[in-house]
Amino acid sequence: MAIAVVLILIVIGSIVFHFVSPWVMTPLASNWGAIDDTMLITLIITGIVFIAINFFIAFAVIKYRHDKNRKSKYEPENKKLEVWLTAITSVGIIAMLAPGLVVYSDFVNVPEEASVVEVVGQQWSWSFRFPGADNQLGKSAIEHISIDNPFGIDPLDPNGSDDVLVTGNRLILPLDQPVKVLMRSKDVLHNFYVPQFRVKMDMVPGTVSYIWFTPTKVGEYEILCAEFCGIGHFNMRGYVEVREPQDFDTWIQQQSTFADSLAKNNSEILSVAAKSGEELAQTNGCIGCHNFNDSSVGPTWKGLFGKTQTLVNGEEILVDEDYLRESILNPEAKIVKGFAPIMPPVDLDDLQVNALIAYIKEKGGSQKSNGEVQKETPSGAKLVQSKGCTACHSMDGSKMLGPTWKDLFGSQRELASGQIIEVTESYLKESIFQPNAKIVEGYPPVMPPPVVNEEEVVAIIEFIKTL
Amino acid sequence: MKKDETRYSLEGVTGFISDWSADKETFNVPWGKAMMWIFLLSDTFVFSCFLIGYMVVRMSAVDAWPNASEVFALEIAGHHIPLVLIAIMTFILITSSGTMAMAVNYGYRKDKKKAAILMLVTALLGLSFVGMQAFEWSKLISEGVRPWGNPFGADQFGAIFFMVTGFHGFHVSIGVIYLAIVAIKILKGHYESAGNYEIVEIAGLYWHFVDLVWVFIFALFYLW
Amino acid sequence: MEEDLEHDMHEPTSFLTKYVWSQDHKVIAIQYSVIAILVGLVALVLSGLMRLQLGFPGSFDFIDPSAYYQFVTMHGMIMVIYLLTAIFLGGFGNYLIPLMVGARDMVFPFVNMLSVWFYLLAVIVLMASFFVPGGPTGAGWTLYPPQAILPGTPGSDWGIILMLVSLAIFIVAATMGGLNYVTTVLQARTRGMTLMRMPLTIWGIFMATILALLAFPALFVSAVMMLFDKTLSTSFFMPAILSMGQQLDHEGGSPILFQHLFWFFGHPEVYIVALPAFGIVSDLISVHARKNIFGYRLMVWAIVAIGVLSFVVWAHHMYVSGMNPMFGYFFATTTLIIAVPTAIKVYNWVLTIWNGNIRLNVPMLFALGFVSTFTIGGLTGLFLGNVIVDLPLSDTYFVVAHFHMVMGVSPILVVFGGIYHWYPKMAGRMLNETLGKWHFWCTFLGTYAIYFPMHYLGVLGVPRRYFAYENYDFIPESAKDLNAMISVMAIFVAVAQLIFIFNLIWSLFKGEKATDNPWQATSLEWQTETTPPGHGNWGENLPVCHRWAYDYSVPGYEEDYLPQNYAGKGEEQKT
Repeated sequence: MAIAVVLILIVIGSIVFHFVSPWVMTPLASNWGAIDDTMLITLIITGIVFIAINFFIAFAVIKYRHDKNRKSKYEPENKKLEVWLTAITSVGIIAMLAPGLVVYSDFVNVPEEASVVEVVGQQWSWSFRFPGADNQLGKSAIEHISIDNPFGIDPLDPNGSDDVLVTGNRLILPLDQPVKVLMRSKDVLHNFYVPQFRVKMDMVPGTVSYIWFTPTKVGEYEILCAEFCGIGHFNMRGYVEVREPQDFDTWIQQQSTFADSLAKNNSEILSVAAKSGEELAQTNGCIGCHNFNDSSVGPTWKGLFGKTQTLVNGEEILVDEDYLRESILNPEAKIVKGFAPIMPPVDLDDLQVNALIAYIKEKGGSQKSNGEVQKETPSGAKLVQSKGCTACHSMDGSKMLGPTWKDLFGSQRELASGQIIEVTESYLKESIFQPNAKIVEGYPPVMPPPVVNEEEVVAIIEFIKTL
Repeated sequence: MKKDETRYSLEGVTGFISDWSADKETFNVPWGKAMMWIFLLSDTFVFSCFLIGYMVVRMSAVDAWPNASEVFALEIAGHHIPLVLIAIMTFILITSSGTMAMAVNYGYRKDKKKAAILMLVTALLGLSFVGMQAFEWSKLISEGVRPWGNPFGADQFGAIFFMVTGFHGFHVSIGVIYLAIVAIKILKGHYESAGNYEIVEIAGLYWHFVDLVWVFIFALFYLW
Repeated sequence: MEEDLEHDMHEPTSFLTKYVWSQDHKVIAIQYSVIAILVGLVALVLSGLMRLQLGFPGSFDFIDPSAYYQFVTMHGMIMVIYLLTAIFLGGFGNYLIPLMVGARDMVFPFVNMLSVWFYLLAVIVLMASFFVPGGPTGAGWTLYPPQAILPGTPGSDWGIILMLVSLAIFIVAATMGGLNYVTTVLQARTRGMTLMRMPLTIWGIFMATILALLAFPALFVSAVMMLFDKTLSTSFFMPAILSMGQQLDHEGGSPILFQHLFWFFGHPEVYIVALPAFGIVSDLISVHARKNIFGYRLMVWAIVAIGVLSFVVWAHHMYVSGMNPMFGYFFATTTLIIAVPTAIKVYNWVLTIWNGNIRLNVPMLFALGFVSTFTIGGLTGLFLGNVIVDLPLSDTYFVVAHFHMVMGVSPILVVFGGIYHWYPKMAGRMLNETLGKWHFWCTFLGTYAIYFPMHYLGVLGVPRRYFAYENYDFIPESAKDLNAMISVMAIFVAVAQLIFIFNLIWSLFKGEKATDNPWQATSLEWQTETTPPGHGNWGENLPVCHRWAYDYSVPGYEEDYLPQNYAGKGEEQKT
């Protein structure tokens, strides 16, 4: 008998719980109210069944409790009842499935006017890319990824130059503008999830997935990763800020583009553009005749840029960008004295030519100083965000996956080996470049070596010192 | 339940169900044969998953897939013959299915000697198949084919090749041992008391399965 | 063709051949069940540790994110595969199939014995992963690549390798056992035992075994491929990617291929757990309500339909996987279609107790508990099966609550109910009724309190597989209290299982002695001459089946049940 009472109480309790529970869907901030409505239809239909079945059991248990003077009915089947029940169930199923599929088709078919933004996931941080004025995202690939090109954009794709790059885990979107979010991952599966927008999708390395939505409320919303991606999964945080369209426009003008980073070479000897130039020089066979030594079949590239060359006709010209461009595309135009006119013309577009020129300039060195390559001093505070360090290290003393940075510098720490060390600059440097060299007691050896150069490490260490 | 009217066969769906749900056994075969069929059904799913996985991998590979005719060619007496080894292997395996079928036939005629000898011949043919497959492996390995890469094209080629032919070759090897054991037991008279040689047919089922899987591998991997 | 085991059946005499290297299906069943329960207790402890972290974050230093994810993974894999699948197929299947169909043993006792030893080996290999460098894998029971084999995920060296090897060994064991179960049901029934006279327990286990034989191959293939990706640097599932900042050697593989293979196995797997539970609960309800199961034929067809349909719904686990969105239409439709035969079964269970004569003993309580919890679990599945509604709910606690209800609560209630029901036959003693009722109430109420509120955390949007939820603005403080309450209930339910363990062992020695048929049930296993049944089960002569398994309260008879081998008062045979 108790079971009947309990079942009735459970049903009543569940209904009460449902209405008093503070744990409801986050306030909707996108156009996907239809999802909430479909969920409500499902709740109503399933709720009715839940109540009916449990009450029926309770009622049956009471009415047909054991009585040794009574025999059960012998009723192997009841065709009519079975048919009715199947029919009603099918109607209920259709009532849920039909609206569900209609709304789903709205989700699958992205509206024409949707703008595009790309979300790139990695262990354990987010970065974002806008297609820029040409409304086309540049092609990307894993092999292009480097410190200066964290998005892996193909430097030779003209569509990529105007792409707006946003690191630092914070995405800004304009209000009331449908947006198609293209998603990819650099390493493992992730999932871009903002509860207030309702829709989510995994980010799969090797492919591009998508969702679309229209932000309908100004505000700041948290991004959560919703596909297990390693031990930092629970801390892979980001924010989406929805702003009025004018504010968004102002903001996006201020962001840097990929073109800005083409000349960056914070960590490598060659800039992004020059690296492409290096590849081109090899694949097009330039290296067969030109090199960076003193003698070669064609004029050497060592120290070429800025040099004054003598041509066969005795004329002297300055080797600048225009000259190089002409010599690549139309080798016969100006032949250098002492060399045969045997260079075949090469068919390259503007970006490719620029890349080759950058390569010749940087690797060959130039007569002028190297002041053209911009080097910006990175900010330690920004770096620790964009490199993902803060996914595991806190700055306020709270215990996370890795040791907190608060009061870290100058302190004494015990290592897993039992050794006590003092946290000096060289220790910090070693821990960044070779995280597993010294493991602090009580922490797992799971820190990935971050992609940083000397300069960035110095900035990060300076920042840690301030905490 | 309603009374049985089985003196006359029932019609329609009820009749169909009644026939197939009859008591004692569903299929008029010995237990061992039923079990082998069910095992082969399960194993079919294994090889299907392997081959479907192969087709997906091949379609999504970024580099060009090596040309099977070239990779599996041999130089014989100065002539470059594509796929010759595979052709011989296929011929041998199909022939072995033939000798196996003959063994089953003699088994039903209770001709111990002929059945056992034909089974041993089948096993020998199977052994030579495995030997040739091993030769193929060593040749490709010496040419630089590895699970993680190869000089001919897409990296996954080697992975698929070793995995699929490895599992198939493993199945053939088990079959060779199985056939040999049963053949020896027949010769020793272990099946006299039972009076039947169903075991030969059961082993035959396994062997034909192994042959059929090879036909699919051959078609999908070597000819495509 | 009739094959008689009798003349070549040698009764085992030594201790080793009777209880260790036994080929008797009853002993093998007990071996399976004991191993499954022991390893299940390990998984239960792991879940307790997980809940300690979730309810009281940071309280336990040794539970760091690495350990937490290892607990999550091992808990899930052990429970689904090594406990539920093993105990339903290897435990209940082995014990009940020959007895219920009137056979002396399984068709190939030697292979059956090998199956349980391979199962034990699989368990040992899995447990070994706790002791290897790096510890067990922490990739989640779904083991998704690329993360499962890359640093950044715990146990991505030896842990994942041992897990995959253990699964492969388990699949071999399951195949060996499965072949026995299917062939015995198909070919070794006794005279008069047509398929449509078999108890639903057998139908459930039979269909589940067919699913296992056809679904495990996909898991096997995916495990082999992942093993190769890890050890031989192949690229089945690995596209070009970075790991820890460095580009890896792999390229061209597809992580989604793994998911398709895994879920092609994974969905039938949940029915491999659910179908035996469906079958067993039908029999429990029928016996203890003294009433035939309502709509037996439709119940059989529903089991078959669910089994067949279970192969075409798998990608409902992949709605947000990034697969081609067009698949969503197809799989949402098939998933909601499979709800229809499932719902019919629920109706038939409650219609069975209607007009019945219900004895509220421990097995019946567990059976009713199953119907209630399975209803809610199945209903929440409808939210998740409807693709668009799944988008916000996927990877949240809604999913965790749903699958615990349908896999962790309801089938486990059936395992308990089934053990209380058949223990007298197996051990010759009754389990203590009072302890059983305490066990039931603690478990039923406790698990409801754990998993019902958990759905709401999912609706709120709280993601699963998170080590901690600090400083997320959209999660209110009250959710932390809820988490704490759930954790307390979880510990309570876990401790309450000790009542059951105690009951099992104590009753073996001190339990009330059982008669041959204490529940007055009709099916053949209760009609053996001795209890526990002896070697060969039936003595000299096999039973002959004259009727279906549900002749309870048949009009015109004084007894309120007619055993299946009861020939009747001179009537013709019944269909």
